[in-house]
Amino acid sequence: MHEQTAHPFGKRKRIHERVIETTLFLSAMLSILITVGIAFILIRESYLFFSDPDVRLLDFLTGKKWQPMIGLFGFLPLLNATLTTSIIAMALGIPIGLFVAIYLSEYASDRSRGILKPILEVLAGIPTIVYGYFALTFMTPLLRSIFGETTVEIYNTASAGLVMGILVLPMIATMAEDAISAVPKELRLASYALGGTKIETTFRVVIPAAMSGLSATFLLALSRAIGETMIVALAAGAGPKLTANPFEAAETITGYIVRISGGDVSYNSIDYNSIFALGLVLFLITFTLNLTSRKISSLFHQEYD
Amino acid sequence: MKRNLHLLSISLVLLLSLSPLAAGGKAEQVTTPSNSLAWVEESLENGLPKVNPLKVSGNIITAGSSTVYPLSERMAERFMQEGYSGTITIDSIGSGAGFERFAVAGETDIANASRPIKDKETESAKTIGRVPLEFRIGTDALAVVVSKQNTFVQNLTKQELAKVFSTAKLWSEVNPAWPEEPIQRFIPGTDSGTFDYFSEEIFNKNAEPILSASNLQLSEDDNILVQGIKGSPYAIGFFGYAYYAENASSLNILSIEGIEASAVNVDNGTYPLARPLYLYSDASIMRNKSQVAAFIDFYLSYVNEEIVQVGYFPAPDKALEQGRTLWLDAMRGIY
Amino acid sequence: MQTQSLFGTETDINTLMGKRKRIGLLWKVAFLFSTTLAILFLILLLLTVIDSSFGYVALRNEVEPSSLIAGKKSVKDFSRAELERVAATNLSSGILRRVEYEKPLEQRTGNDLVALLEQYVIKPKVLKTWGLWDSLTHTKAIDEYSRSEEGSYLTFKSWINAEFFLADQSADPLHAGIRTAFLGSLWIILITFLFAFPIGVGSAIYLQEYAQDNRLNRILQLNIFNLSAVPSIIYGLLGLAVFVRAMQSFTSGSMFSSLTDATANGRTILSGGLTLGLLVLPVIIINTQEALKAVPASLRMSSYGVGATKWQTIWHQVLPASGERILTGTILALSRALGETAPLVVIGASTFISVDPTGIFSKFTTLPIQIYQWSARPQGAYRNLAGAAIIALLILLMLMNSTAIYTRDKLAKKKRLES
Repeated sequence: MHEQTAHPFGKRKRIHERVIETTLFLSAMLSILITVGIAFILIRESYLFFSDPDVRLLDFLTGKKWQPMIGLFGFLPLLNATLTTSIIAMALGIPIGLFVAIYLSEYASDRSRGILKPILEVLAGIPTIVYGYFALTFMTPLLRSIFGETTVEIYNTASAGLVMGILVLPMIATMAEDAISAVPKELRLASYALGGTKIETTFRVVIPAAMSGLSATFLLALSRAIGETMIVALAAGAGPKLTANPFEAAETITGYIVRISGGDVSYNSIDYNSIFALGLVLFLITFTLNLTSRKISSLFHQEYD
Repeated sequence: MKRNLHLLSISLVLLLSLSPLAAGGKAEQVTTPSNSLAWVEESLENGLPKVNPLKVSGNIITAGSSTVYPLSERMAERFMQEGYSGTITIDSIGSGAGFERFAVAGETDIANASRPIKDKETESAKTIGRVPLEFRIGTDALAVVVSKQNTFVQNLTKQELAKVFSTAKLWSEVNPAWPEEPIQRFIPGTDSGTFDYFSEEIFNKNAEPILSASNLQLSEDDNILVQGIKGSPYAIGFFGYAYYAENASSLNILSIEGIEASAVNVDNGTYPLARPLYLYSDASIMRNKSQVAAFIDFYLSYVNEEIVQVGYFPAPDKALEQGRTLWLDAMRGIY
Repeated sequence: MQTQSLFGTETDINTLMGKRKRIGLLWKVAFLFSTTLAILFLILLLLTVIDSSFGYVALRNEVEPSSLIAGKKSVKDFSRAELERVAATNLSSGILRRVEYEKPLEQRTGNDLVALLEQYVIKPKVLKTWGLWDSLTHTKAIDEYSRSEEGSYLTFKSWINAEFFLADQSADPLHAGIRTAFLGSLWIILITFLFAFPIGVGSAIYLQEYAQDNRLNRILQLNIFNLSAVPSIIYGLLGLAVFVRAMQSFTSGSMFSSLTDATANGRTILSGGLTLGLLVLPVIIINTQEALKAVPASLRMSSYGVGATKWQTIWHQVLPASGERILTGTILALSRALGETAPLVVIGASTFISVDPTGIFSKFTTLPIQIYQWSARPQGAYRNLAGAAIIALLILLMLMNSTAIYTRDKLAKKKRLES
């Protein structure tokens, strides 16, 4: 198997090794190229967008109406819809995900864990388009029958938000469970020794100890919800609208990008450039969340050994 | 260890070699751009050669209006059912985007449109060496629809229509007899020829009033509009008649100025929102890719047999005649 | 007398303990409830999909069989001679010509002729569809509907059947299928794999085995983590700008002059595959790194100890040891790519495409995009089709994931037997 016994440790072999190392290095560099590429494309097209005389940065950030065709470039309606759906998703996903995680790590027997974890994995592996379909065919009619057909529009952000919550649920549960399990047994035992009940231990000792991992989880889940596209494309609505009512239709940042790129606008038209500007905003938001998540997880990481 | 990697590479090679087989079934035949029209049968009485789809091959790329889409889809399907063996793709992206692909990017052979081509677009086409030829294929009666649950509106005057789609926030602002509920608007997107047509007819080419309206949802996909309008008694929208016809059980169509959208009223020109539907192509494309010429020929010859079922109305005979003449002119020398 | 302690009397402590225990129980119920909810969501999801895929359909024929041959209610009742006769007289000239060209009527089987007549002469049209639940529980309402609609008849349809997999896109819901979309998906995943696997594994090997712990490599590592969390639509935008537009001559194939077509453009399988490749690359890198990390240092050390070079160690020892984990992770990453919709919509999958992809320069549509388009249509029949397509997608994903797990177990077992 090893053919090297006849080789002297000569120049020839070293070159062979160097070539391989360089090839592998270049592969790794490609990932940098991708990030640079993303940043470059987004920034260049956004620059084209912002350099258009009709567009002013202040209007973009604070304007309340988004209608590029007639020169209105306020992106608040899109941001608002994105936040509405994400917050609803978090409101559903975080409590349930956290509770499932606590159950899995603290209370579940090995057998039940063996059944529950695969179920979570299955949920996590279902493509988002299926969730979008679910939102449109199940969640929206459900909301309409509970709250009435006049209160709940056929496209609405609540339905999309709730289904998004179900989407991020497995992710939160798995990551939170990892974080909680990582807390060493000794801390729990110490708490029991001092007379704490299981629930008190969980809430006063384990959760705070796992807080770095948990915060990282929640931020990542939020980032996922903000970047989610297909659920909102199918269920949330097709027109930007600034509204606090989740039962109304409103288009999110991602929904807008998909709608416009589906329509295929001309290069250098204001619509085409706007999707890149919005893409840049989206990238910055999710990038910040991801970075913060990693920072928190390392900053508050507690060493127990 | 080593064997496993060998196994892996062998299976990879197998996978790669099997994949062309997977493309079996209706695989595309190799196309040789021919100048001989192998697919011509005898002449039809109105001068166009009869097409034998069995002998047509090669690809045809079309894109454009979502209004024309169901019609083109039907014609393409019939073309294939009668033996066409090539690829035909139709993208439903809006007349504006369709012209973009045809006249600026040069990506398509045929542009579907629910509005005439603009001068700017014709200029762009010329710069890439294309001279757009206009083929009228049918007429649409733009349907202004409300949900079946809407019991208060059956007719709108043009003035009311303008108000409903711009300044009015509540239904009662347009007509005090109507409910004091916000108007929910579902309209085709700005890439859509339908949108352009509506702004032209109702707002004198000004897109601003309609785009500034409150409660506005836009989409190039008329199906999304249908879905939205179905959902509320206070919703209203407009799109090509075929989308209404397909969903007549859940939508009510309004008459405009008292005139219903019917075949009679479209034919005699009294329905105010009747508009022409077009295909655009270019003579050099038709001559170099004879399958495109074949398809247009087929389309012009048989569209009237299919158009009513799809949900639109036939073009006036004179317009179809013009299309035929245009086709013959474009193919002069070859046919 | 009650014992006194720092915390109060015995009774006090018991009451307090009782309260604490009750609170504990309450929370435990809450946790259990949440877990049940999570399982419930999954069940609801699957049930919704299954519900859409089966059910009654109310059809109306354009031409009634009894008007062709008096007294016979269904085409299946026609005799062979009658079938041929009706076909010859009622099929339109164009269709007849094609049918005869493919196989003359006399040579066709009875079933063949029945199918032909159904599709081209009888032409049943869908009036209304119901889901499985409705079909089982609301039979009376369904019957009533059928009676109220003149000429309609009911049939129970399983929307997912063999024809569904073999048919291509059609405007008629009764004849629509996913073959084109399915093949498009497979082609794209192939390209994704060919692009992302070598580069991903290569990068991971570099980062794990060769890179020193210096600033550049730490940034590289961080960068890869961030890339894995970027929303998929951003990759779509990147793919649109770079592969479809900037690299159009490459991705459309016109660079290789295999297409003299003036209308070639970059919206091809190649662009789609490359874009998804970029998407899964960080995932593959991270997964491979984890797999490499899991290989014990002692294995490497002993290899160096007998005089092997770095690459020899990697190739002969480390990779085989981590191989199954790398493979499993890659398959899982690919199954994620299979379900991706947004980036491909941005790239520009086709709305109507009649022919299967024949190469990497073909236009395409994929299974998730087909589901998206069908879901967006308001007519009931398309909901059913979307449901059936979702089942197909889920089956495909399940197959892929099972393959991953099976390969992992098989290779692990082999390793155990060999060691």
